[in-house]
Amino acid sequence: MADFLQLVFSGAAIGAIYALAALGFTLLWQASGTINFAQGEFVMLPAFAMLFFLKVAGAPLWLAFLLACVVAMLILGYGFKVVVVDPLLKHGVIPLVIATLGLSIGLKSAVKAGYSAEAQPFPAIFPDGLLALGTIRVSYADVGTLLVAGLIVVGLQLFLNRTLTGRAMQAVAQNTESARVLGIDVKQMVLYTFLINAVLASVAALLVTPAYLAKFDMGDSIGLKAFYAAIIGGFNQTRGALLGGVLVGVLENLMGAYVSPAYKEGVALMLFLVVIIFKPEGLLGKAEERKV
Amino acid sequence: MSVFLEVKDVRKYYGAIRAVDGVSFALGPGEIVGVIGPNGSGKTTLFNSILGQIRPTSGAVEFAGEDITGMSPLELARRGIGRTFQTLQVFGKLSVRDNLIVAAQEFKGTMKSRLFAAPDAGLGEHADRMIELFRLQHVATLPAGTLSYGQQKLIDIAMAFMAGPRLVLLDEPCAGVNPSLVDQLRELLIELNRTQGGSFVVIEHNMDFVMRLCPQVICMVEGKVLAAGPPASVQGNRAVLEAYLGN
Repeated sequence: MADFLQLVFSGAAIGAIYALAALGFTLLWQASGTINFAQGEFVMLPAFAMLFFLKVAGAPLWLAFLLACVVAMLILGYGFKVVVVDPLLKHGVIPLVIATLGLSIGLKSAVKAGYSAEAQPFPAIFPDGLLALGTIRVSYADVGTLLVAGLIVVGLQLFLNRTLTGRAMQAVAQNTESARVLGIDVKQMVLYTFLINAVLASVAALLVTPAYLAKFDMGDSIGLKAFYAAIIGGFNQTRGALLGGVLVGVLENLMGAYVSPAYKEGVALMLFLVVIIFKPEGLLGKAEERKV
Repeated sequence: MSVFLEVKDVRKYYGAIRAVDGVSFALGPGEIVGVIGPNGSGKTTLFNSILGQIRPTSGAVEFAGEDITGMSPLELARRGIGRTFQTLQVFGKLSVRDNLIVAAQEFKGTMKSRLFAAPDAGLGEHADRMIELFRLQHVATLPAGTLSYGQQKLIDIAMAFMAGPRLVLLDEPCAGVNPSLVDQLRELLIELNRTQGGSFVVIEHNMDFVMRLCPQVICMVEGKVLAAGPPASVQGNRAVLEAYLGN
C-alpha cells in the first residue's frame, strides 16, 4: 500500500507540471480560440533561457527564472500573439494549428542548431532526500513541485475570481461580443491570457527541467500530454486541465510500475481515446453550442 | 428640444442591397423612441451602424455633439452608450450578481487598483439594488447560464443599465420573453428612464409594448423610414398597415 501511495504522490507531482501546461492550453482556447501545438516548446524555451542566464550571465537561479519569465512574456506571450495568432486567427483555427505545428518544429530545430542537441544539466531547485509522510516516503522534489504548482494554480484562480481584471478576462472568455459592448478592452484581456500562459510555461520549465534535463525535444512529451490532459479534463474548464494533468501523471506512474514501463507513455493517449469516445466534452467539461 | 443623439442620413449598402437607406432621426435627453418594422426592414443594421458594430456606407451619427460614426463599441461604452442584443449575451458561468458587477466595473480604477480593489469594485450595493428592481433576488448567486430564458433576458437588460448609461439601444427586449414578464419589463424600463434619466431607442415587434412605452415611434420598411411620430399616428398610418399586412 505504501508503494502504491508513493507512486500516486510522485505521479501527482509530474501531473501537476502537465496541469500547468494544460492550463495554458485551456486559457488560450477560452480567451481567443487559439490551440497552441507549440506549447511543449513554450516550456522548453524558458528552460534554455534560464540556462543562458545561469551560465552566461552568472545569475542565481531565482533571478534567472524571473528573467526567463520576462523573456517568455515578451516572446512567447506578446510576440506569439502579435506575430502568429493575430494575423492567422481571423482565417480560422486550422491555419493557426498548422502554424503552431510549424512553430514547434522550427523552435526545436533552432535550439538544436543554435545551442546543442545534447541534454544540458539543470540545477535542482529542491534538496535531495526523502520526507516521511506517515508510512510513505516522498522526495522533497515531488513535495516541492506539488506545492509550487498548487500555489500557482490557487493564485491564478484567486486572480481570475477575485480581481476586476480576472473577472473581465472570464467575461471575454465566455462572451467576447458582450464584453466588448460593456466596455471591456478585449484585446488587452486576451494579451493578458497569453502573458499568463508564458509564465505558466516558465514555471513548468523550472519544475520539470531538473528531472528531464534541458534538451531541444524536452517539450514533445510535455506538450502532448498537456494537450491530452486538457481534453481529458475538459478543454473549456480550467479545473478540467488540473484534473486531466494529475490523472495522466498518476496513471502513467502506476502503469509504469505495475504493468510495464513500455506502456507508460501510452497511458495519456489511451485515456484520451476513452474520454473522446464516451465523454467528448471531457470529464469536467460542458458541451458548447456554436453558431455555424 | 435639445438633441442628444442625431442620426443623419445613415446608409448601409451590401452591394446592391440597401439594408439602411438614408435614415435620419433625433433624440433628446431622457427620451424614448421605438423603432418598428417588418423583419428585414433594416432595424438591427441601423442599430449596428449607430453602435460601431458595422461602419455605415455613408451618413453620420452624433452623440452629445460629438461625431461617433464608426467608433468601436469600446469607445462608445466609455461615452455612456450601452446596448442589448436580440439574443442572450449574459456570461453563463458567472453568477447573476457578478454579471451585473462585470457590466460596470470597467469604469473603475487604474491597472494597479484593478488588481487589488475589492472584488465587487464597490458596485455590490448598486448590483443588489438592480437585482431587487428586476426581482432576481432568489437567483442572485446562481450561474446566469442555468436560469430560464426570460430571467436571462432580464439580466441582459439589467447589465445594460448597470453603468448608468446616458443612451441605451434595446434590440427586441421582449423577444422570447414570457407574456407575463412583458408588462414587468415595460414598467422596469419606465422606472429606469425616470430614475437614471437615460435615453432609449427600442427595437421591438410587440406593438402593444412599443405603443405603451415609447412617446415617439419610427417605422422602417426596406431600409427607409416610412413613418415617424406619436404611436397613434404611426399605428393609424395606411402605409404602415400595408407594410405589415400587405395591400
